[in-house]
Amino acid sequence: MLWLIFSAALTTQALAPLSVVNEQLIIEFKPRSPDQMASFYEARGFPKVMRDILRKQCYITVGITNTSQQKIWLDLADWKFSANGKKLERQHRDHWKQRWQDMGMPLRHQSTFRWTLIPEALDYLPGEHEGGNLVLPFSKEQITLDAVFATGENKQGKPIHIHYDQIYCAEDSP
Amino acid sequence: MSRSILISVQSFFLMLGLLMVLMPDNAAAKEIKLPFGIREYNIGLAPNFKLADIDGEMFDLKSTRGRWVFLHFWASWCGPCREEMPTIQALSETIDEDKLHFVLVNAAEDEDTIFKFLGVVAPNLTSMMDADGQITEIWKPRGLPTTFLIDPEGRVRYQAIGGREWGLPVYRQFVQSLISP
Repeated sequence: MLWLIFSAALTTQALAPLSVVNEQLIIEFKPRSPDQMASFYEARGFPKVMRDILRKQCYITVGITNTSQQKIWLDLADWKFSANGKKLERQHRDHWKQRWQDMGMPLRHQSTFRWTLIPEALDYLPGEHEGGNLVLPFSKEQITLDAVFATGENKQGKPIHIHYDQIYCAEDSP
Repeated sequence: MSRSILISVQSFFLMLGLLMVLMPDNAAAKEIKLPFGIREYNIGLAPNFKLADIDGEMFDLKSTRGRWVFLHFWASWCGPCREEMPTIQALSETIDEDKLHFVLVNAAEDEDTIFKFLGVVAPNLTSMMDADGQITEIWKPRGLPTTFLIDPEGRVRYQAIGGREWGLPVYRQFVQSLISP
């Protein structure tokens, strides 16, 4: 559900979504520009020091829909990003939690930031749609994702492999 | 011939008696059909909390014992929350408050934001303010919005995943089936 959060909040025109559709799930990617993200968090009262850090990241709002009749398991540990053949390290939500804590940022902003991130792990029930933001290091290169989803009640079904190379980091308009 | 009829009748009543003993009582046997997006979520007793609402009135979740509770986590920046909230208001207007208590918890926003949002989207509802987001962290909704249904003994029983159209008959009937004796 969180992938839709910005539709209500952003005034900036959203970029066209990119998507992966297979017979069991749909994944949509919406790159967000630094201006979009900074505006969103500024409207929620985030201090400049947080916004300045957030501006330097690459944001992709991801929405995942389970279109199958079985449980599908998201685990971001099984998502590998690369750009131009080099590994791109995604920041885990615990990294951000620690960073905001170390900076003494208000708990309410820490909480809001966490809720805008895609869960690290989630079991998607048939028909369920959830999502949120991925935060990656900024890259001017096209980004490739190789992801694996476990399936079935006990993760013992046939895994779903996704390879997608159309992701990019949005930049502000000149 | 008449003896065999007698035995058959006796067997019938014997079976009937056995069935009556083995069958659970009516309340327990009541089958509740779950609409799309609602799942059983038996995690035991609901973690208690005390929060102030936007008028500064303190609320204690424990005070709702004896009634079902519709516990809803939301935020103004969440698009599906905006769509769902009017349907929650519509549902609340058709339900006896003595049987189902609606508790909204806003995740980490200030009272001006909450007031403006509800004033436009669902003016008849009020919300608790989880100002620092810590109650939301404890409850761990799958995402926002999320609704939990808590039974009169204080046990979490169901979870609504994402935004639901609570005004639809299928959801109203589901809620009614919970609170009906």
